[in-house]
Amino acid sequence: MANHKDIVYGLYNDEEELLKAVKVAGDKHIDIMDVYTPFPIHGLDPLLGLSESRLHIGGFVYGALGTLTAFLGMSWMLAKDWPVIFGGKPHWSVPAFIPITFELTVLFASIGMVVTFYIINGLGPGVVNPTIDLRITDDKFCIAFDTASTDKASAESFLRSTGAFEVNSKTI
Amino acid sequence: MTNFEFSGRQRTLLLSGIALGVICMAYTWFMADDALHSRFWSNFLHNSVFFTGIALMAGFFLCASITAWAGWYVVFKRVWEAFGLFLILGLVLMLILALGNYFHLHHLYHWADESILVPGADGYDKILAGKKGFLNKNWYLGGTVIFVGIWYFIMTRVRALSIKEDEGKDEDFSSHRKMRVWAVAYLPIAGFTSAAMVWLWIMSVDSHWYSTLFAWYTGASWFVSMIALTILTIMYLKMRGYFASVSTEHIHDLGKLLFAFSIFWTYLWFSQYMLIWYANIGEETIYFRERLDNYKVLFYANLVINFALPFLILMRNDTKRKWGSLSFVAIIVFFGHWLDFFLMLKPGILHTAHEAMAHGGGDHGHGAAHNVGGFAAPGFLEIGTMIGFLCLFLLFAYTAMSRTRLEPTNDPYLEESLHHHV
Repeated sequence: MANHKDIVYGLYNDEEELLKAVKVAGDKHIDIMDVYTPFPIHGLDPLLGLSESRLHIGGFVYGALGTLTAFLGMSWMLAKDWPVIFGGKPHWSVPAFIPITFELTVLFASIGMVVTFYIINGLGPGVVNPTIDLRITDDKFCIAFDTASTDKASAESFLRSTGAFEVNSKTI
Repeated sequence: MTNFEFSGRQRTLLLSGIALGVICMAYTWFMADDALHSRFWSNFLHNSVFFTGIALMAGFFLCASITAWAGWYVVFKRVWEAFGLFLILGLVLMLILALGNYFHLHHLYHWADESILVPGADGYDKILAGKKGFLNKNWYLGGTVIFVGIWYFIMTRVRALSIKEDEGKDEDFSSHRKMRVWAVAYLPIAGFTSAAMVWLWIMSVDSHWYSTLFAWYTGASWFVSMIALTILTIMYLKMRGYFASVSTEHIHDLGKLLFAFSIFWTYLWFSQYMLIWYANIGEETIYFRERLDNYKVLFYANLVINFALPFLILMRNDTKRKWGSLSFVAIIVFFGHWLDFFLMLKPGILHTAHEAMAHGGGDHGHGAAHNVGGFAAPGFLEIGTMIGFLCLFLLFAYTAMSRTRLEPTNDPYLEESLHHHV
């Protein structure tokens, strides 16, 4: 792999400690590379300055695409290309189209959002994702610094002073 | 501010709203009505059912939340408790209608005409004779008194235990445990009996027609109106400086409920419509035939107001958190569901009035005019009556809120609610 990074990271026992540490880092303008937690922590995103995800805009577009595909598709098939009489109803029977239009809207929106999410995050079959420390998938909370942008010694002292019980470095 | 102070100005405002309602109802009765006073009685039924249902749903959702061990709603639970207590006035209002039905003072329900139930008699109605085991004045009166009485009784228990919690004397949460028992009891009781009352109060105005999911559809309509009124009440109280602990997070969750249950209502509305449209059986399609022929504008406006607008406006995250957009949707949806009840009730009542007049020797009956004041669309008198009932509901609810602490103190889920975050 070409893009090796030298990482310094600290592990915390508690999410409250982690939130306090992230707040301190923000006040001191220390550049955090990323935070890893076993579960989503309320209030972490604004502290890290992460903007709202735009995935739902994609979801709306995919959903609208599904609506149009289903509705126009059925209209063309059942009213124009091969008109069939079902139960004495007109060829273009809008109420009968609505359930399928709804289903295709949901299908397009959900599949579209999953695929977009995987592509943007570089996920997929066969992709190796280095885990910084196995304990972050269980009960430990981690703040990581990239030594290319943050001085290693100051990162370590920051981690220890904010209550990290273990500080390590690693190349990924 | 821990207690809600009901100021004289607010009381005067609500009382003048009630006075407006009374004037509108008196004007309807004396000046703008037919010989049977169908317009007056149908307005009375329309608003009584609408606001009784809102009280029922407030209690239902409160009890569902208690049963589900939910915590987020606790800071503003006094609003739902106060709404739920309105059931006692709902009982009085529905009792007036039930007694009117018992003594044939109004002609809202075709099945109440006993002369059509005698075999061989002129105008004998075989279908209604077959339904007389349920559609009769005793069920109407007894069901109203007993069922609404039970709902109200359980609401008073839940409320009393909730106030008892505030004293902070039960370290072992015994009040909350007892409250949970009442809440669990309320859910199946209110669930089944409210369906029966919907059939009697609302669905039986189209007495030949029936739909098995009508009670669900009506319940969803009540529920959305209840959430809309809750949002507006909380916003008003926050503007007055109360409810400092109720944050945007709580408002956001109420907005989600408004959004989700608007879609749920649409789902039920459409399920009912599509099955009837597909099967195309005359005795079922008559319900929609009537509304599509004579109420075309209201019929489609109902869908736009109660589905398209809340769906498109509240879809985004931030529109549920901003007061402007959320209160706008809450107001139009509240009015929209009032309109939905108008559409459920008025066509059937007008038809019954025509039948009753034809029975009396007049030349009405089938094919009679539909462009009747107060029946073709809500007029000023209908809106004035609605404002009167709304002010009565709010006067009662605010009085109930002012009787005790506005924010509870010792609810076991209080901390969870104070730190609610979505």
